[in-house]
Amino acid sequence: MSDAADVQRVLSGDVDAFARLVDRYYERCARFAVRMLGNRDDAEDALQATFLRAYRSLGKYQERDKFSAWLYRILVNQCRSIASRRSQRERVFIREEAVLLNAPDRRPTWTGEDEEFVQRVLAELDPLLREAFLLKHVEDMSYEEMSALTGVGVSALKMRVKRACDRLRTRWEHIKDE
Amino acid sequence: MSDDFSSLDPNVQWIVSEARRPVTVDAAARGRLLEAIRREPRPDRSSPVVAWLLHPRHFALPPLATLAAAAGLVGVGILTGLAFNWDGRAPTEQGSPVAVDSQLPDSGASRVIKFVLIAPQAARVAVVGDFNGWDSTATPAVRQADGTWATFVKLRPGRHEYSFVIDGTHFVSDPNAPIAPDDGYGQNNSVVVVGGRSS
Repeated sequence: MSDAADVQRVLSGDVDAFARLVDRYYERCARFAVRMLGNRDDAEDALQATFLRAYRSLGKYQERDKFSAWLYRILVNQCRSIASRRSQRERVFIREEAVLLNAPDRRPTWTGEDEEFVQRVLAELDPLLREAFLLKHVEDMSYEEMSALTGVGVSALKMRVKRACDRLRTRWEHIKDE
Repeated sequence: MSDDFSSLDPNVQWIVSEARRPVTVDAAARGRLLEAIRREPRPDRSSPVVAWLLHPRHFALPPLATLAAAAGLVGVGILTGLAFNWDGRAPTEQGSPVAVDSQLPDSGASRVIKFVLIAPQAARVAVVGDFNGWDSTATPAVRQADGTWATFVKLRPGRHEYSFVIDGTHFVSDPNAPIAPDDGYGQNNSVVVVGGRSS
């Protein structure tokens, strides 16, 4: 059943249809939220707020828009909101810089334990760069989709993604040289 | 500027590949979410016309003369308040401040922007931004009967950064607005663009 059909069923009173939408998008949204916010507690808060807000606002959803894009817009805003409200926790990541810098170079054996490393290098990016990088390369969105979602121009988004890639590459090289 | 996956630096490709892996979150969280949704009232259908009228970012009135603005803006305030409820952002539900803005055409190139913050527990709220020198005493918001705080600022066309200040010390950005880069003080400001899209 399509997203649009499920939306119509929800608006007709079928809550189970919304559960199907949740099932369809929960894991993708969870991935973005965890990568964006850097920890699972905040990500779960963002997911809860996103789907609740989507449910409450479903009557305003316009079918000419892709449901996934509409949902992602809510998710991105919720992640921004949580990151802003919990800026104190964001600073903890900065303090953890020393831990990261002093960590032994595990590259030869980096296999399944890499999530923590990835999470940390992503957390070092400016949130706007991280957001653009994740939407482009992890969520595999086009720049046009990203622009519609964020309200930021395509050229600015391209610069953000490029800058993010440059910083990640530099960060990696820095670690290699330690 | 090509930035397809295949054109990325190999190490960045590796980071992307790792970041694409599914993440595990508390399995019970999804159950709690669905429980919460089942407790919610059924969402209302909005006709496109009503949705347009209630959308806080696209609501606009015909050009207002300065002297007539006050009367017209009362109506805007009422409709904006309705928009919160239709959007599910009533103060008791959200539990945290939420800001929206509405652009009202002005007679000249500038526009009057309405800043609204849901902060029922606040004693004082003000808007600070590049338009008032970040002076927390320059643009106080007025408490509305429903617990929201509102104020109007006439802005020139262009990009403006702003934030709310609650009780003189607590800075709050607009979660639905684009966020400006960290200003160096650990604070993410919001961005409003006059004469273009604001989100």
